[in-house]
Amino acid sequence: MHSRAERLRRIAEHGARVVAMVALAALLWRAIRPPVASGVDVARGDLRSTLERWTVAPAPEMRVTLDAAPDPRTRDWLRALSRSGGLVRWSSSRPIAAAAVAAEPAAEPNGVTRVRLASAAGEPVSVADDAGALDTLPRGGPAELELAVVAGAVHASAATFNATTDARDSIVLRPVLVLGAAGWDSKFTIAALEERGWRVASRVRVAPNIDVTQGPLGTIDTSSYAAVVVLDSTGASSSAEIARYARTGGGVILVGSSARISGFGAIAPGKVSARVAGVAGAIASAAPRTGLGGFPVASPGADAVLLEWRDGVAMIAARRVDAGRVMQVGYDESWRWRMAGGDDGAAAHREWWSHLVAAVAYAPLVPRNSGVTAVDETPLASLVDALGPATPTNDRLARRTDGRRVTWILFTLTVVSLLGDWTSRRLRGAR
Amino acid sequence: MSMTSRAGRFPIPICPASLGSRRFPTLGEFVFATAQYESGDWDSAPLVPSNLIDSVARYTSLPVAPTGAIVSLASDDLFRFPLVFLTGHLPVRFTDGERANVRRFADRGGMLFVDDHNHDIDGAFHKTAIEELSRAVGPLSQLPNTHSIYTAFFKFPDGPPNTSHELNGWGDNLVHSHLLATMRGDRIAVLYSNKDYSSEWGYHPDNKRFLAVDNTKFGVNIIVYALTR
Repeated sequence: MHSRAERLRRIAEHGARVVAMVALAALLWRAIRPPVASGVDVARGDLRSTLERWTVAPAPEMRVTLDAAPDPRTRDWLRALSRSGGLVRWSSSRPIAAAAVAAEPAAEPNGVTRVRLASAAGEPVSVADDAGALDTLPRGGPAELELAVVAGAVHASAATFNATTDARDSIVLRPVLVLGAAGWDSKFTIAALEERGWRVASRVRVAPNIDVTQGPLGTIDTSSYAAVVVLDSTGASSSAEIARYARTGGGVILVGSSARISGFGAIAPGKVSARVAGVAGAIASAAPRTGLGGFPVASPGADAVLLEWRDGVAMIAARRVDAGRVMQVGYDESWRWRMAGGDDGAAAHREWWSHLVAAVAYAPLVPRNSGVTAVDETPLASLVDALGPATPTNDRLARRTDGRRVTWILFTLTVVSLLGDWTSRRLRGAR
Repeated sequence: MSMTSRAGRFPIPICPASLGSRRFPTLGEFVFATAQYESGDWDSAPLVPSNLIDSVARYTSLPVAPTGAIVSLASDDLFRFPLVFLTGHLPVRFTDGERANVRRFADRGGMLFVDDHNHDIDGAFHKTAIEELSRAVGPLSQLPNTHSIYTAFFKFPDGPPNTSHELNGWGDNLVHSHLLATMRGDRIAVLYSNKDYSSEWGYHPDNKRFLAVDNTKFGVNIIVYALTR
């Protein structure tokens, strides 16, 4: 006859065996059950294997926790899951920086590719192409690079994103037409543009009805010229043609007081103020244009964009006119910058003029096949577009539904139950 | 009013209206500038500026300053005048500052027009000026007579017009068929003449009326070229 304690001990041993058997059965069932998910399933660890599992057996709600913006393939996979009936939500274990990168041909004759990058400030960003590293931005933020040669795709990478872009287009760049009176501004404007590689056609007035011309001169339209630079009042005779050219997509630069020409009244970004003198001696300083005199832009139109200010007055403004762009540049003796500027005066003057013309130039794009296919210019924005905004992390839900945790609990329960049963029987002398 | 050149050989009339003062260009105005250099007789052709100014005003609509300017080659003021006329009879030796400035001037797009007032390829000016200019801006070579400077305003299909000093046998007794030049890209940085335009154009503008053909027309071409190319 067993004592009461002995009976309780045997009941406990039976109970431990039953628990072990049930846990083993549960483990066996979890191992061989068909992959049917239910409720909320949270991906942890290897995302790829999780996606494969979800592809076969999608859960009603699938959650991923990311530490960086996913690559386009993963993102498209998640998007496909969400479009196939499941609810895919995402969260991040750390803030993923918003970023964008774009590469496009600059409308300049030197064939450079302009790479524009924007990322949340603070995170270092490295810029590279397929041939290797190009630059590093220690604190991210906005940046613009001009690359003479680009090998394949351009990548902007940081800890939480890897953006990729490609210069997909080429451009057609036609000559620039320069109109002005014979003088140093005409000479050095033409020289600056030519030295930067622009093809320049010019009509320089020397005497009444006598012009010194160069390059192809014909009808002023977008099939002939990328831009027209009007340096002074000699452009008046062509003002109607130039205004029409601007409306059809051409780029026009009105220099100095040339915006006063009545024919430009409808396209000029603003009126012309009284001339202001440059700051004596400043032309060789770090801010050389403060040493130039000029006609400030007065009463800018509502759609004008003021691009450069000096002492409270606008010196450069621009506006769109139908399909074209018109820029008003107040400075009227920029040649002084080239001749009397600092050591880099000539180069800076050249670059400045080229950038002005490039900013307005009519440069039709021509698609080209670069062979780059994996373009991902805005990783975070594309993720939000694919899956919606991030859902805050829910650890409690994650713990509750974590499949591996349940497996470990069942396994531990089995081992503890069997060990308890075995130990109890050995202590009482049974086998 | 007159003065004597440093060599003491040539009495030089000074015309206050043309060389009397430093003058900086005002807005959009062309100012004819004469180079002043340490060595030699930079002021040997004082009537050339006023004569060319007269011609520019006579034939073109360019806003031109009624008086010329004198600018030191060693001065930063040189860069206010992208076309500078240099002449003389005597040996030319640039100082280091002048040489550096001339090089920078040419590199930035300025044009230096140099005329040998001796009209003598064995003369001191020619030999030393060629040497100095070569050191400063590079070697000079013959400018083709088809260059656009010969058609910039008036047409000179045969190249540089001859001067009376070439034709009457003075100097080296040669008629120089070409000018020399140093180029920057396709632009003339230094234009060098052995033809003695300094003497040819060195007269009062009023006396043009006595000429059958105005002999300063090529000077107009040089100025128009400099202002347009």
